[in-house]
Amino acid sequence: MSETAFDTIGPAPTPTMDVALKIWRYSSRTGERELKEYTVEAPEWACLLDVLDIIKDRVDGSLAYRKSCRMMICGSCGMRMDGRAVLACKERMQPIVESGHVPVISAMGNMPILKDLVVDMDPFWSKIRAMKPWLQPGYQERPEKEYRFSQEQMNPIHKEALCIMCGCCVSECNSMEADPEFLGPAALAKGFRFVGDPRDGAQIERLNEYNGEHGIWDCTRCYFCNERCPKGVDPRDSIAKLGAESIEQGIDHDLGAKHAKWFVKSAKTTGWLRETELVPKTQGYVSAIKQTKFALGLARRGKVPIPFPPHVAEEVSEARALHDLIAGQGREGAKGIVQGERGLARIERSDAGGAKRDIAEVTPGEEPAPAGH
Amino acid sequence: MEAKHDVLVVGAGCAGMRAAIEAHDKGADVALISKIHPVRSHSGAAEGGINAALGNASEDDPEKHAYDTVKGADFLGDQDAIQVLCDEAPGDVYELERWGAVFSRTEDGRIAQRPFGAAGEPRTAYAADITGHVLIHVLYEQVMKREIPTYEEFFAWKLVLNDDRCQGVIAWDLLNGGLKSIGAKTVILATGGAGRLYTGTTNAYACTGDGMAMALRVGVALKDMEMMQFHPTTLAPTGVLITEGCRGEGAYLLNADGDRFLERYAPNMMELASRDVISRAEQTEIDEGRGIDGNVLLDLRHLGAERIYERLHGTRELSMTFAGVDPIEEPIPVRPGAHYHMGGVDTDVWGQTTLEGLYAAGECACVSVHGANRLGGNALMETITFGRRAGAHAAEWALSHTTVEVPPSVEADSERELKELLSREDGERPWRIRDELATTMHENFGVFRREELMRKQGQIVEGLQERYERVVVDDKGELFNNDLTQALELGFLLELADCMIVSGLARKESRGAHARPYDFPDRDDENYMRHTVVTMPGGRPRLDWRPVTVTKWQPQERTY
Repeated sequence: MSETAFDTIGPAPTPTMDVALKIWRYSSRTGERELKEYTVEAPEWACLLDVLDIIKDRVDGSLAYRKSCRMMICGSCGMRMDGRAVLACKERMQPIVESGHVPVISAMGNMPILKDLVVDMDPFWSKIRAMKPWLQPGYQERPEKEYRFSQEQMNPIHKEALCIMCGCCVSECNSMEADPEFLGPAALAKGFRFVGDPRDGAQIERLNEYNGEHGIWDCTRCYFCNERCPKGVDPRDSIAKLGAESIEQGIDHDLGAKHAKWFVKSAKTTGWLRETELVPKTQGYVSAIKQTKFALGLARRGKVPIPFPPHVAEEVSEARALHDLIAGQGREGAKGIVQGERGLARIERSDAGGAKRDIAEVTPGEEPAPAGH
Repeated sequence: MEAKHDVLVVGAGCAGMRAAIEAHDKGADVALISKIHPVRSHSGAAEGGINAALGNASEDDPEKHAYDTVKGADFLGDQDAIQVLCDEAPGDVYELERWGAVFSRTEDGRIAQRPFGAAGEPRTAYAADITGHVLIHVLYEQVMKREIPTYEEFFAWKLVLNDDRCQGVIAWDLLNGGLKSIGAKTVILATGGAGRLYTGTTNAYACTGDGMAMALRVGVALKDMEMMQFHPTTLAPTGVLITEGCRGEGAYLLNADGDRFLERYAPNMMELASRDVISRAEQTEIDEGRGIDGNVLLDLRHLGAERIYERLHGTRELSMTFAGVDPIEEPIPVRPGAHYHMGGVDTDVWGQTTLEGLYAAGECACVSVHGANRLGGNALMETITFGRRAGAHAAEWALSHTTVEVPPSVEADSERELKELLSREDGERPWRIRDELATTMHENFGVFRREELMRKQGQIVEGLQERYERVVVDDKGELFNNDLTQALELGFLLELADCMIVSGLARKESRGAHARPYDFPDRDDENYMRHTVVTMPGGRPRLDWRPVTVTKWQPQERTY
């Protein structure tokens, strides 16, 4: 067996390529940090994880990273490639090698680094635990068999149930970078997994908790979590669902909720967002008065429109009709967003080459007979 | 000594977490210890489903489930254990649902069930094609709810044998370094399989048979170790699993000529025959030149895009990522790959081993419900039912016994052994031994077995063991030193390979996963309807036999 043999099943030798990587090495014991470059021979089918394995086996056994399933389900191998969070087992290296690029591999962001590519996940898990992430059936009578809910009733949490807790979304979260206490995309997606579950009886209690400081309204809507999630969970959408559901349930004490409500009201009544009223409607009049000086400064520089008389769009009737139409469709709360996702999934699916994202709708059909029967 | 518990569960996959939950609910002080975070466990990679006679998709009952399992096992399963599994399975599945498992649903809102291999009824409850993922997360939710302490990223290395009882575990703390001993009145092994013995396996890197080897080293027997299941649909090159659920939903297997070749091997059940039958059929097609680059084709196209999106979404994701094939457009190239160890630590129906205080559950155990061939969907079920039973029994035993002691000499011996390994400077690093073991096991102890190749493999393993004794660990540090733990894992794997070969040579018949078409093509109930058991006195494997428990199903010819 030659030294560079890979996957010797079958008669043909595996074609190989030379892969170059730069890896940020780090030790939390010594604080030493170094960007080291490695070049190894790897099979053409290799993913990033395979290349790391070859480096660890044959070059430097002290290289530290987590791995297990190598099939995108265990969530161990989250790390950054060129500053983007990825699952190492999902990233094929051949296109990168062919482009001549030498990627930089580093640990995930927003979590303390222990060694090389291994981060301390404790802060991550303590936020997950803060969501009380277990079913609380409440006062429902415990059935003798299963709870009876249709697929359609279960669909709203379909995407959240795909989460593998890899931490890629948390790594990329801009809000958490500013406020490490922010609950963050993974925990909030887990939160919606229960808020949206028809079997759970603690919806109001959960929403109240998630509406607190460092909660759902602290999300800046940068959508990095959606973009970087390797499983299509779309955590930002989960946060939106929690927000919509909070307002639907009358849990609107947070400034964020008030802010969102005023957006809707302003759009309905005037067809525009009346920005000058946004501050008092969000923060209250007393607090808004304190901002007067700032507002006047903005006005002097032409950054805010003159508030009087209130500006109403010419076609405001269309905005009002749209508002009424949606209100009449029973899309209040999270349901509206779930329906929107399903619509999007259908559109994306009809593209040539099939779906790019997961489908939220599952229609149970008839079981096929076993073949040959 | 770090800590003392009533019950210490080693491994935090489905079996381990279910055991811990049950022990907790029975009032015991229980802790989990796992070399990876619980949700990273390989149970989470199970795809197709979990078998229980719920009768949601057809008339079904546990009796039919039991018969299918007995026949699937090629009559090597213990029928009393199988009866326990099938009788208790429905209640266990309902409980998972009431804890919040997100199962797929029938029209009338019950748990959906799909057809699966060698099952007479559509009995496999499922959550699309991520059933294991859904179960591992619901179990971890319940573990968090109960605040069960978990030694995360602790690599269990040795069982503490004291006063003829198992009284704890000695583990390497991956995050901080150092050996820690954790005393416990009872220890439940739930460490999963050893698929890493093979090149081309569905198993995770973590599946290195740790629990089996640890038990073997304290004198506990391993049962039916020759019985390694090859899953018929794994992706080249590394063996990523494509679920049997594809065939459950109606997918075809085709050879290079486009024929549904199973007509010639299993004319009644076709693609839904048992896994051993289909893997042999595929291997025969490939060996006789009717494969395509060492694969056959799994064709889902006629199922239509809608069904693939709804029920086999994860499969499509895997196939596109790892084979560059969209199953809506093209058939998936697949081949048999090492998947599941029917054999394991010899236990009774409560998970008890022959060593007082030591239990085992899940894939690392052999109760035995799977005999010579496991049915798809029965593994997840076994983890839950027998995890629960082991947890209950261990808790009960622990609560009626008081003392725990890890003798200082045991700790000192382990420290010395580890220090010796870490201080070794000249020698071979483990990776080549590991790769040679995996390739040769595939070549010489695969789907089909020949006497001379098994003997050759015995010599190869002996040679690898000699090299392993001089193995060198590159990383000498304390912080996240998995270079060290991977070397220790290789030691486990080599001993298990030895056990498998000894058992395989002794079983001079063809039964289930153990196929010897060249010298013993038939099943021989008269001589071999019994379990192999291997112990390792003085470091050399010793083979013994144990009777199979037959209750109501006499062996009969097995065709599909």
